[in-house]
Amino acid sequence: AAAGLCPWRALLVRRGGALRLLCGSVRGLAAGPETHFGFQTVTEAERREKIYQVFESVAKKYDVMNDSMTLGIHRVWKDILVHKMNPSPGTVLLDVAGGTGDIAFRFINYVRSVRERQLQQKLKRHQNLSWQEISESYREDKFKSLGDSQVVVCDINKEMLKVGKQKAQHLGYSEGLSWVLGNAEELPFDDDKFDVYTIAFGIRNVTRIDLALEEAYRVLKPGGRFLCLEFSHVSNPLLSRLYDLYSFQVIPVLGEVIAGDWKSYQYLVESIRRFPPQEELKAMIEDAGFLKVDYQNLNLGIVAIHSGFKL
Amino acid sequence: NMAAAAAGSLRRAGWRLWRGRAVVRCQLYSPQRALQVSAVLRRVSDEQKKEPLASSSQQQFDSHPTNHQPEQEPQGPRPSYTGQGGQESEDYESEEQLQHRILTAALEFVPEHGWTAEAIAEGAKTLGLSVAAAGMFHSDGSELILHFVSQCNTKLSELLEQEQKLVQLGKAEKKPTDQFLRDAVEARLRMLIPYIEKWPQAVSILLLPHNIPSSLNLLTSMIDDIWQYAGDQSTDFNWYTRRAVLTGIYNTTELVMMQDSSPDFEETWRFLENRVADAMNMGNAANQVQSTGEAVVQGLMGAAVTVSDAETSRAVR
Repeated sequence: AAAGLCPWRALLVRRGGALRLLCGSVRGLAAGPETHFGFQTVTEAERREKIYQVFESVAKKYDVMNDSMTLGIHRVWKDILVHKMNPSPGTVLLDVAGGTGDIAFRFINYVRSVRERQLQQKLKRHQNLSWQEISESYREDKFKSLGDSQVVVCDINKEMLKVGKQKAQHLGYSEGLSWVLGNAEELPFDDDKFDVYTIAFGIRNVTRIDLALEEAYRVLKPGGRFLCLEFSHVSNPLLSRLYDLYSFQVIPVLGEVIAGDWKSYQYLVESIRRFPPQEELKAMIEDAGFLKVDYQNLNLGIVAIHSGFKL
Repeated sequence: NMAAAAAGSLRRAGWRLWRGRAVVRCQLYSPQRALQVSAVLRRVSDEQKKEPLASSSQQQFDSHPTNHQPEQEPQGPRPSYTGQGGQESEDYESEEQLQHRILTAALEFVPEHGWTAEAIAEGAKTLGLSVAAAGMFHSDGSELILHFVSQCNTKLSELLEQEQKLVQLGKAEKKPTDQFLRDAVEARLRMLIPYIEKWPQAVSILLLPHNIPSSLNLLTSMIDDIWQYAGDQSTDFNWYTRRAVLTGIYNTTELVMMQDSSPDFEETWRFLENRVADAMNMGNAANQVQSTGEAVVQGLMGAAVTVSDAETSRAVR
């Protein structure tokens, strides 16, 4: 019944807000308050369902589509995120909505290289050790090449996690990595567990952003850092027009050609437009209790990194 | 100075009020966190009651253990710390104060890690915070170094203040100018001794373009301080001359110290003695202005060369 009512309800919605209320009461008790799915209006339950389906269908082609839509620039954005994080060995990272593992793998690489550098410096200082001692120090450090660092990848979607696990196996990442099925609005972790919480291109798909932010606050240790990488609003008018043109004309076509799925990429582009702009998201993060909240625009605002600390 | 302090306290008060509002909003969203949120609210409202009373003195605002000297921040008694992790204690202080605490804690890790984000991360760990808190600072360690320099300058000021009091009370002799300058510079440079291994790294970071305004500011105010306590009352061109000369003496002595391997840095102090004597002998000759300029330029050139030498020799070692 809900599906049947959807199309003409959507039509009425565009006419005016008052009609929306009428339709809501016509449908009886709606499944949760109203929210948006791209440019449509749906209930919260419907939204979660639809988003799950979107990612279920794109999971296998997710990485390919990312590369083609952003012309590979998304790799740079994710690199910048991990550089900004500057994790030291021993950091425990929670990557939420991290399905295919991009951030997790970058984190592991970064920590490994930092650790190698530390080891080299340590060895330089121990120049007058005997060969025996040097070889021993090599051996024990080799076992913990990550040095107690860990990353937990949490995603609500089984398909995305599956793709991520396969990627990890293929690329040879096994140590310090774990995969957990979970909802960002209700994380299956205890309080004060993680040093850093990241959510890259995921918070847009969360239905109740405020709940996700509060969960982030809860699971972070005191002093922990919240990092959010997400599409945001471009204020430059010229770039904005080009960006809109590209988004609405090119991306869904790419989606159809490469992934065979126009609708999912239409949703993607619409959801970017519906997402709160930089300052608003900053205010929401502050509301959740984070301090020293700041954001950094990448590519003039196409993407923004928001950062906050639990102090 | 009082105006600046008052403005600072108003800023902090405004920030705390705003935080109070933010916390109220939080409470509306998540009733299951009521216990934690209301604990926070109580402390903030306590301070709101205190704030109208503390118009002239700022004792109640800043609650801080007094085992270190944050720059330009008044000290105050610390209310009972229940020790439930870094979170609760932060409601008594502002973010800046927390940052000062972290940087002070980080100093003990500098000999091992250098002036880096790693040292700051270790410092944060000792305060019970996550290592990610080091993300609040620049990854090149600038803030740590500036914090240390400012701390040293404050310590020096206090030292000179105490000495002056003793002289005023008649308990000590007033030192001749050259002795005074020598002692002041020596006292200040001795504060570098625990960190002398990594000090060349710090100097090179302080010379980075984005740090030069702050580091220059700290340097000039320290030199100014020394001259004031030395009793300099001049209002003519000599004011600039004296400061430039002393800056040159300080910088060159610092560079010598970084390469000095004699016991207790005797050679450095002897160098210092000679430089101060030279300065005293310069007299009021017309070429004083020129030599002042020369001294400054030489100081800067020597800085660049010596620092790079120190870095390479350290790397080789």
